[in-house]
Amino acid sequence: MLSRVVLVSANALKGSSPLGAGLVQASRSLHTTSQSLAPVPSLPEKGGKVRHGIFPEEIFQLLYPKTGVTGPYMLGTGLLLYMLSKEIYVINHETIAALSIGTVIVYGVKKFGPDVAAFADKLNEDKVAKAQEVKDLAMTSLSQAIEEEKKEQWRAEGRSLLFDAKKNNVAMLLETNYRERLHMVTHEVKRRLDYQVALQDLNRRMEQEHMVNWVEKSVVGSITPQQEKESIAKCISDLKALAKSTQAMA
Amino acid sequence: MMLSFFDQFLSPTFLGIPLIALALTLPWVLFPKPTTKWLNNRTVTLQSWFINRFTQQLLLPLNLSGHKWAALFASLMVFLLSLNMLGLLPYTFTPTTQLSLNMGLAVPLWLATVIIGMRTQPTVALGHLLPEGTPTPLIPVLIIIETISLFIRPLALGVRLTANLTAGHLLIQLIATAAFVLAPMMPTVAILTATVLFLLTLLEVAVAMIQAYVFVLLLSLYLQENV
Repeated sequence: MLSRVVLVSANALKGSSPLGAGLVQASRSLHTTSQSLAPVPSLPEKGGKVRHGIFPEEIFQLLYPKTGVTGPYMLGTGLLLYMLSKEIYVINHETIAALSIGTVIVYGVKKFGPDVAAFADKLNEDKVAKAQEVKDLAMTSLSQAIEEEKKEQWRAEGRSLLFDAKKNNVAMLLETNYRERLHMVTHEVKRRLDYQVALQDLNRRMEQEHMVNWVEKSVVGSITPQQEKESIAKCISDLKALAKSTQAMA
Repeated sequence: MMLSFFDQFLSPTFLGIPLIALALTLPWVLFPKPTTKWLNNRTVTLQSWFINRFTQQLLLPLNLSGHKWAALFASLMVFLLSLNMLGLLPYTFTPTTQLSLNMGLAVPLWLATVIIGMRTQPTVALGHLLPEGTPTPLIPVLIIIETISLFIRPLALGVRLTANLTAGHLLIQLIATAAFVLAPMMPTVAILTATVLFLLTLLEVAVAMIQAYVFVLLLSLYLQENV
């Protein structure tokens, strides 16, 4: 939070006083960040590390090379005892009140701290989870679309087979139709030819009959009565002869 | 110099420089501004969550024109809450123990609600002076009583906050002094007193939060009547 104050004030410092420019150059060795405003510096995810709730870890690291692990504790105890013994800090009723409120605060933080932190983390995680859900949903729907597209492509490949089958079908139908019509045509033609043949037959028969009738009629007409009597007399004499012969035989 | 029990309520000065402005603006430093980031750290997340929930709950009974007061109520609540809670630390000055501050907050805000009511819906605002279902002979008396009650409201708001916090702080001081004085003489009694002090501190923490909330809640109720 304060680093951004530093960033913004650094620009103001440079032009503000005669010493401003010099101070900016001299303090450059103390810089920890890159002092640039773009891209926007990110917020730290967790707060700075502290020991015993208030003392930053940096103090311990600062004193470690010279005084080891117990250094800061010695410093703290020494300071406290100094202030108490020289009565720079006077113990009075406020001290007791401070102890009381200190107990309340420490108890509160120890008891409810982890839960509150977990709650805050959960709020953030829910936000991330919601966005993640949208992303996942988009991804699954897109991959599903890919699958379906592939299926459609496979179907499109099979379409030529379908067309061939349909073409065959249509060709067969046409063939059948053609054959039917051919059959019908031959049938009709044969019928007409049969008719002509029957007609000719009829003609010939009628001619024959007519000729036979004419021949008969002319023959019958040509028989004169004289001939008729002669033939009848001959027949009778033949018959008599025949009767005599049979009688003779019997 | 000895601390008298009322020195804690003196407006703080340092070498003649009044520090009341510092005391009033200190809470501003403790609340980080919500960032433009999508995900924030725990402090900012919790703060945003709290203010969102609080405003949503407070504005539930208000109709739409009352929602203009949302920013005022939220910031007032955070301000009073932080002032009260910070005042529980030792050697701190609580500005809300000063009647001038609390009246300075209560009277203008209450008056604003009354004026809004009188300007936008005068009949309804005046109608609040007579509760429903009162018997006819009692009407004149009741109107006088309700008017008095209306004008007592800012006084009550301010004095409630002042009295609660002043009494609490004073009690803490007294019992702490008792424990401190008894410690060399009768240690057991001192320990008992310290226990009482501990319980009282718990109570004061609760009172600090509740008084801030009650102040804002009552203002929202007055607004609800008039808007």
